[in-house]
This record gives sequence, C-alpha cells and structure tokens, in this order.
Amino acid sequence: MSNKTEAMTTETTLADEQQSSQAANRGYGAQVLREAFTQWGARLGLFWIALLAAVAVFAPMLANSHPLLVSEGSIISSPMFRYMTIGDFTLLAIFFTVVILLFVRIRFYKKVIALFATGLIATIIAFMLVSPPQLTVYDQYRAKQAAGDYDWVIHAPIPYSPKDYIRDSGDTGLEAPLKAVTPAGDASLRTHWFGTEENGSDVLSRMIHASRIALGIGFVATGIAMLIGIIIGGLMGFYSGIVDMIGMRLVEIFEAVPTLFLLLTFVAFFERSLYVMMVIIGITSWPGYARFVRAEFLRLRQQEFVQAATACGLPLRSILFRHMLPNGIAPILVAASFGVASAILAEATLSFLGLGLVDDPSWGQMLNQAVQSSTFNWWMALFPGGAIFLTVFAYNLMGEALRDAIDPNLKKSAG
Amino acid sequence: MLLQVENLKTHLRAGKNIVKAVDGISFHIDRGEIFCLVGESGSGKSITALSVIQLIPRDICSHPDGRIFFQCGELNGNGSGERETLDMLTLAEDKKRQVCGARIAMIFQEPMTSLNPVFTIGEQIMEVLQIHWPEMDDAEARQRAIAALEQVQIPSPEVRVDEYPHRLSGGQRQRVMIAMAMACEPDLLIADEPTTALDVTVQAEILRLMKALQARTGMSILFITHDFGVVAKMADRVAVMRRGKIVETGTLDQVLHQPKHDYTKQLLAALPENLKRQRDLQLVEIPLAQDTIETEIDEPPLIELQQLEVYFPIKKGLFRHTVDHVKAVDGVDLKIPKGQLLALVGESGCGKTTLGRAILRLVDATAGTILFNQQNITQLQRKAMIPFRRDMQIIFQDPMSSLNPRMTIVSTLIEPMAVHGIGESKDERIEIARQILQRVQLDGDHLWRYPHEFSGGQRQRIGLARALVLNPQFIVCDEVTSALDVSVQAEVLQLLMELRAEKNLTLLFITHDISVVEYISDEMAVMHGGKIVERGPTAEICRNPQQEYTQNLLSAVPRLVL
Repeated sequence: MSNKTEAMTTETTLADEQQSSQAANRGYGAQVLREAFTQWGARLGLFWIALLAAVAVFAPMLANSHPLLVSEGSIISSPMFRYMTIGDFTLLAIFFTVVILLFVRIRFYKKVIALFATGLIATIIAFMLVSPPQLTVYDQYRAKQAAGDYDWVIHAPIPYSPKDYIRDSGDTGLEAPLKAVTPAGDASLRTHWFGTEENGSDVLSRMIHASRIALGIGFVATGIAMLIGIIIGGLMGFYSGIVDMIGMRLVEIFEAVPTLFLLLTFVAFFERSLYVMMVIIGITSWPGYARFVRAEFLRLRQQEFVQAATACGLPLRSILFRHMLPNGIAPILVAASFGVASAILAEATLSFLGLGLVDDPSWGQMLNQAVQSSTFNWWMALFPGGAIFLTVFAYNLMGEALRDAIDPNLKKSAG
Repeated sequence: MLLQVENLKTHLRAGKNIVKAVDGISFHIDRGEIFCLVGESGSGKSITALSVIQLIPRDICSHPDGRIFFQCGELNGNGSGERETLDMLTLAEDKKRQVCGARIAMIFQEPMTSLNPVFTIGEQIMEVLQIHWPEMDDAEARQRAIAALEQVQIPSPEVRVDEYPHRLSGGQRQRVMIAMAMACEPDLLIADEPTTALDVTVQAEILRLMKALQARTGMSILFITHDFGVVAKMADRVAVMRRGKIVETGTLDQVLHQPKHDYTKQLLAALPENLKRQRDLQLVEIPLAQDTIETEIDEPPLIELQQLEVYFPIKKGLFRHTVDHVKAVDGVDLKIPKGQLLALVGESGCGKTTLGRAILRLVDATAGTILFNQQNITQLQRKAMIPFRRDMQIIFQDPMSSLNPRMTIVSTLIEPMAVHGIGESKDERIEIARQILQRVQLDGDHLWRYPHEFSGGQRQRIGLARALVLNPQFIVCDEVTSALDVSVQAEVLQLLMELRAEKNLTLLFITHDISVVEYISDEMAVMHGGKIVERGPTAEICRNPQQEYTQNLLSAVPRLVL
C-alpha cells in the first residue's frame, strides 16, 4: 500500500502541516478516485471534459476573427488581446490557478478557498483594467489584408468569431462544411470546417464558444445545488426530529417544482440571462443532494467515531464538517456528476425551444436552427447534437465509475 | 471414517494477490463424533468449512492441492442404503447439489440474516425436503417440517411453522436453521460459529440442543468456534488452527490439559479465566487497593445516578404520535466511588450500552439525575457540558467504526486537546500525543497513519489513547474487547489495568463476558430489562448469586476450568 511508504517517508520528519496534509490527500477520497479512473470509460469521459474545458478557456485564441498578432507598418499589435473581455481574462486566471493547485500539496478546502479568491481578484482587476472597444468591425482585418496594409498576420486557427456574420460579403447563408465559396468563386479563401449557419457565421467557432456556456451552466448550477443541498441535508441528518420533518417537507415542495417550466416562465417574464438560468437550475435541483446528505448523516450520526467526537467535547462545526462530511461526501459527488449532465441538458432544451440566450451561441440554439431550416442541414444537427451527447455521456460515464468505486458490494476482489 | 481431508489448500484471489487461506491441512472426522476446529479470526477455519461443502465461488478460489473424501450415504432417499465415497473437490455440479443439504448440512453464524424474510419458516424447511425427496407431497413435507421444529424444541410448532422469520428471536431463528439442516438427516453437520451472535443463556440452550440431537441421530458435527469454553462443552476431538495450518490435533483432554504446541499454550493462557490466576499471584497488591477504598468511603462518589430513566418513544401513524416507550434504562440508582472499577454485566438489549452513553450525555436522559463530582449534569446544554467532557471519556466496542477513517491518528488525538486547551502549541500537543501512543504500546511514528492500516487490537489501543489525551477521571469502556481475539483481548485488558492503577482512573466496564468481569473487576452490577438486579463485590456474586436471573446467567457461561 502506498500509505505505508508514505508513513515510512514521514517517520523521521517533523510534524509540519505539509507532511500531515500530504498524507491526508491519500485518504479514502484519493483511493476512490484512483479506483474510478482506472476504468477506461471514466478516463475517456475525463479526457473529453478536460479537452472541452481547455477549448472553452482558450476559445478567444482558437476561434477569433481578430488576428492574434499583426504587424501594420512595422508596429506589432494584438487585436485579439485588445478585444478580450472581462470574462475571458477571469476564465484564464481561474484555469491557470487550477493547473497550479493540481500540483500544490495543500488541504482540499484551502484549494477551494484559493480558487474562489483568485476568481474574485481576477474579476475585480479585469473590471478595472480591461475595457474592450464597444464597436467591433470584423471585416476591417479582411479588408486591410486584401489591401495589403499588413506586413504579416497571424490568425487564430479558426479565423472567425462566433458572431462574425459573413452574410454581408455575399449570398452566404447555410453552407455545408468545406463548401463555402467567395463571390469570386474562390473556395480556398474561406474554409469552414463545420460549415456555416443561417447568418453565415462559422459553426465550429460558435461551437467552441458555446462550450463555455455548457460547462459553465453545468458547474455553477450544480455547485449552487450542492451547497444548498449539503447545508440543508446536513442539518436535517444531524438534528433529525422536528428539523428533519420540516426539511423533508421543504425538499418535497422543491421536488414538485418542474425546473423547465419555471425556467420558461422566468425567461418569458424577465430578461434572458445565463446567470438567472444557473440560479434557477441550482435552486430547483438541490433536494436530491439534500436527501443524499441527510441519509449519510443519519447513518454517520450513529457511528462511534462521531459519538467519540461528541464525548471529547468538540465543537459542532468540527463534528459536522471535519468528522461527518468527508465521510459522507462520496455519494454526493456521484450525484453531482449526473447533475452536471442534466443541467447541460436543461440549458440545451431551453435554447432549443428558442428561449435561451439571445445572441450568444449555444449548442441547443444551433440545433434549433437545424430544425427550422426548410432543408435538412446535417452539419447543423450533427455537430452540436454530437457535442451535447458526448458531454452528457462523459459526465454519466464518470458518475457511474465513481458510483461503482464507492459501492463495496461491487468490489470484484475477494474480501 | 466419514470425512477425510488430505493436505487441503484453498487459495483466495483478492485482486492480484493470492491469499493462502488454507495451507495444507489434514484431518478426519469419524461417524458420530463432534470435531471442533478452533482458531482466532483469520486463521482459515471458516474457509476450511466452506471448502468442504464447496460454497466458495469458483472464480475467487482455487485448490492447488488436496482432497476431501466424503463417505456419502444414500441420495434421493432411494433406500438402497449403499455408501459411496466422493471427492468433494472434483464432484460434478449436479451431484454436489444432491449432496449439499441432504448429506452435508451447514448452519451459519448470523441467525438474523440466514433465513429468507419473505418466506415462512415452514416453506423454507419444506423446500429443502422436497428438493432432496422430489416424490414427497406437500402434506408429508409439512408434517416433517413440524416434526423438525418440534425436534429443536420450538414451542407449539404447528402454529410456528406458518410464521415469518421476523417473528422469531435470534435463538429461535438459530433453532430453525438447525431444524432446516437436520430435516434431511445429514451425515455431517457443519456449524460455523453457530452461537457467537447469541447471548450466553441462549448459547447454552443451543449447545445443549445440538449435543442432544447429535446423540440421538448419530450424525457427525464439524464445529467451528473461537471460544474454548464452547469447545470444552462440545468437542470429542479438537484441532487448533493458525494461519491456514493445523498446529495441533487431539482429543479434548489432550489439547486442553496437555497442549503440545506453543500456540495452543498461549491461547489457553490468554483466556480471562486463566489470567485470573495471574491476578491471584499479585494478591499482595489487591487488598491494599481495597483498603484505600474503604478508608475513603466517606468521600462522595464520582458518579451518582438517581432513578435514571432513558426511554425511546415508539411512534406510529400519520402524525407520528408516541404510542409507547422502549424502556432502555428504567430507574437505575448507581454510585461509583472514585478509583473503582465497576463492571456492568448483562445480555444484549438489557440497556447497558444506553446507560453508559447516558452517563456521558451522549443520549439524553428521560428522567432522573446524573451527578458527576456532585454536580448535576443531567440538563446541561451542549456548551455547558464541554468542561465536563474533559473528565469523562468513552472507549467503544467496534474498532472499525470508532476511529474516523478520513483522519490521521495525529489529527484524531490532537483535536480534542486543542479544544480543551491542553498544550501550548501544536508541536507540544503532537509530543503529548506521541507519548500517550507510546504509553499504549504503539510506535510514536504511527501518528501519521490512517486507521485502516491498523489491526483491531491496535485500533482499540488508539481508542484508548484518544480517551487518555484529555487526562480524564472517568472512562466508560463499552464492550472494549468483545470484537477482539482472546490473545489480543488479554493484552488490551492488561494494558487497561496498568493504566487504571497508574492514573487512578474510575472505570465503568460494560461487558457481556462474565470471565472478563471476574478477571478485572472488584465490583459488579448485573443489569436486566433496564434495571440493575444485583450489585456487589465480584467474587461474592460469582460465588453466591442471590437473584434468579444472575444464577441463570452465571450457570450458562461456558467455562474452561483447567
């Protein structure tokens, strides 16, 4: 066991925080994760999600009409950088923090705090420093390049922004992949790997930018649901009795609320905002988590180590969050990975019904376009549909692998 | 010769590891004898039994070597009366099904889970009968099921045959299991720790029943147990197992009175009833201790309970109104003087654990008062209890669940110290924790490990260390050794006695095991149905119990007097 080697390496060293936490990271959670991600399904799922996350974070560098670097009269500038939004910067900052934190050995809750702190600080700094120009004219670069004003240009791999509607440069609406032609009949100038949509913007570029919404809504909505669920479920499970009864009625009330219809109502009455969607999906899906946490806490409350903690006179905060929660978190993580998948589906459904975000690209909205057109445009259905399928499937694969890993009855090895 | 096992090896696959659970054992069982297989947990005794009846899934086990010959009586009741010798390891699947249940039957340790809850007990016995005698009609099968229940002394078997398992007590369920096993009149009955989960009085009845049935039907029994007291009552011949090997075989007398192997000697010496002799050797110290208690008798008791009651409501109906109470603790008066070790004895469900937890305010008392150092702590709020928590601690029964699996030993030990302000800095607390860990005979470096890396006995020591870090005056020991093997139990008990003398601890030692009580305690209290029925000096109660319940309890204890 790796734990034994761990103990051996630490046995002569002093008792600093670093050492004890290093060992703490090899606990039950790490064991479960290791077991879950030895299955190829879970690995595949994780790979897809990681790829999607990377694509979402680096979307401005991957698909952008603004060139990455231009040299205009021997002055080198980066229009891409100039047009980057507050959100782009914050995402980048969070991404690099996550990458760094993966390799730093500190306690998990400290990592979470550090992540939130950098997110907040990055947002504030970006608000103060970043002010992208209000007006964007995507055609200026193409015009200038055609006029030969640039010494040299480095374009993004996909040189089209998601909202770069090329309908103005000719009769260009829905075009199949690699079939786009310029008015002059020269096909080599415009390459759309995944074709274009009805306004003539690049489908691949829109899909790359839409992955941000898909991932964001999944994580944030599930995060909100988990937070509420853990707090309410934990209190129900620990106190039981009257608190439990009131909590369970609350859970039943919220379980009766149909998420999609509430979303439809909200979208119909108020503005269409991504954040409103996240919050609504979050506050309607917590009852499942609350039930899980409650059941775990009811079980753990009877465990002797919790009784011992009470007998030692430890404060309630420590008993709940240090002794009980880490032992009961595993089933909630499983539920969460399914929850992310269903949040993504909810957003896609809403966008498909034409009630999603107005202008921003989203996979569901692209599917909607595929249906509305009079002809069957296979690229409009296949690529976004495939992306939704793969993402939901990836989360379900990971969820199932985690569920199997924490289920002692499914252990293949003999006792 | 009924069963002959030759050089049997059973290897279990756990992932990539191969565990040699049974490693080359040979024994034989004659017709009409009771053969006991004794060993501590993990010695491979149950795997041996399962190998004989071929119940281990084929995909996790292999038999690299060995043979099991079973001289099988008639099958399917064809009345031919001929006997054939079968090799159980190479037997075809359909033949094996005919043999199992009919000629070899098995009863298991846990009666609560070994009966199917959705069938009546009659149906379950009839099914066995009709599988092995297909021509038997329902009426006859039912008659035989009733007869089988009568045989195991279930009262009014004609009525009981139609009842579901949940209506029966643990002892009755084990009787039904025996009836089911006996229904086909097997040649060999394998009993895998059949009385371990039962109370001593029930255990005594079941053992008596098995012995009587064996004498009447002339079958052989392969009896697996860890308890030498049971061995002494049951066995004709005994084999002692250790780490997959048989270290010693012989008749009961030989093994118990002239053990040849060191391991057998160690096991016998570790029995609490034999440990007692060691205490008798130290008689010089004991009267001294008692003297001091007597001189300080005016001093108020450390713990005083007055009419303590703990009721658990039984709620029913839509509005969960309380229809009745379970009276777990029903009016207990108890005084524990400073420095005394009071043993609280009782069978399962008598309320002894609830009483222990109620004293520590882990369970709220319904009525009555708890005085600790003459301060009433019965109604104190959570916050107000904290200063008292330092002085009263608890050690639990189950070494698996009594430590937080997600925390290192060091975190478990220093967190209570920080709350109660023991030690100036973290380093100092870690140093204290290290010393205490060494005091309970563990390595100081074990601080950085997780609970799952320790054995049961080691975890129990860590539980003891956790209780000791706060330097308490009073510790409740709730069945601390019930889950341990005898040799480990002896070590833990000795450690506890040392610590008690060293720190002048007051202990409430809750147990169901009379022999442990006799070994450690000066005073004992017997609890039954939520009440204390008898209390007094241990030696006196054991020698001359006054109450009928105590008399029954003491006479049921299987003893091994050497």
